[in-house]
Amino acid sequence: MDQPIDVARCLQRWQRGDQSAAEELIAHLYPVISRIVRIHLPRREHEDDLIQEILMKTFAKLHQYKGDAPLTHWVSRLSLTTCLDKLRAQKIRPEIRWTDLTPEESDVFDATWFEGSTRDATDVIHARDLVDKLLSTLEAEDRSLILMVDLEGHSLEEISETTGWGVSKIKMRLFRIRNQLRKTIQTLEQRP
Amino acid sequence: MNTSQDNKWQALLALSAPTFAGEISPPYGFMTSMLAQLRQERQDEQQLVRLCWRAIFASLAALVVAAGVTVSVHGHFNRGNDFDPGMRGLIQMENIQAS
Repeated sequence: MDQPIDVARCLQRWQRGDQSAAEELIAHLYPVISRIVRIHLPRREHEDDLIQEILMKTFAKLHQYKGDAPLTHWVSRLSLTTCLDKLRAQKIRPEIRWTDLTPEESDVFDATWFEGSTRDATDVIHARDLVDKLLSTLEAEDRSLILMVDLEGHSLEEISETTGWGVSKIKMRLFRIRNQLRKTIQTLEQRP
Repeated sequence: MNTSQDNKWQALLALSAPTFAGEISPPYGFMTSMLAQLRQERQDEQQLVRLCWRAIFASLAALVVAAGVTVSVHGHFNRGNDFDPGMRGLIQMENIQAS
C-alpha cells in the first residue's frame, strides 16, 4: 500500500464492523506478512493459505494489540511464530549429499563456487532450491535466525526483540548454525 | 573468520535473494476471499455469543423451575405437621399439643 493508513482509526472502524476498514488493514499488512512468509517458509509451501491464516489470526487477536508498538511489528512477530510452527512440523533432513542435488542445482553450486556470479535468470530459482535444501538440514528456529541475519541484515538486538531470545543465546545459536552450514557445504564439495 | 564455505553460502543466498522478496499487493481474488472469511468468522462469533446467552437463560430458567418445584414440594410436605389427616383430626379433637 502506497498511502500510509491511520491504523488506530482503522482498528476502531473495524471494531464497529466496518468492512472497508478490514480491507485497508489487509492491504496495509499484506506486504509485511508476504515478505516474512516468503523468507521463513520454503518455496512452494502454499504461501497464500499461510498469509490468509496469519491475517485471520491477526484479526482474531486484534483486541490484544495495545498500540505501544507499530501494528506491523506486532504482526511481524505473529507471522514469524506461525511460520516457525509450520516449519517445526516439517521433517528435518540430517544432511544432504551431492547426489541429492538436481543437475541444475549442481551447476549452480559449481558456478557460485568457481565463477561467483549468475549465468542466467533460471539460476536464481535453482539457487533458491539449493538454499532451501541447505536450510532443510537446520531446525526451524535456526533456519529463521540465519535468514534474519544473513538475508534481512537484522541486528542481534532487533532479532532479540522479535523473537524474545536473549542476545547471547542468539550469538551461540549463530555460531552453531554457521558450523553446521560449513559442514554441509564441505560435504557437497567433496562430492560422492 | 570467513571460510570458503561461508563465502559459498553468502554467494548462494545473494543469488537467490530475489526469490525471497514479498509481494506488494495481494493477488487477484485474495481480498474478496479474505473479507468473506472474516465476515463468516464474525457471523460465527455472533452466533456463538447468541447460543451462549440462550444456554445461560435456559440454565437460569431450569434453575428457577427446579427451585420452584423444590419449594412447593417442601411446602407441601411441611404443611401443618408430619401427621396424616386422621391423626391430625384426633389431635385436634383431643386438643393435644402437637409441637
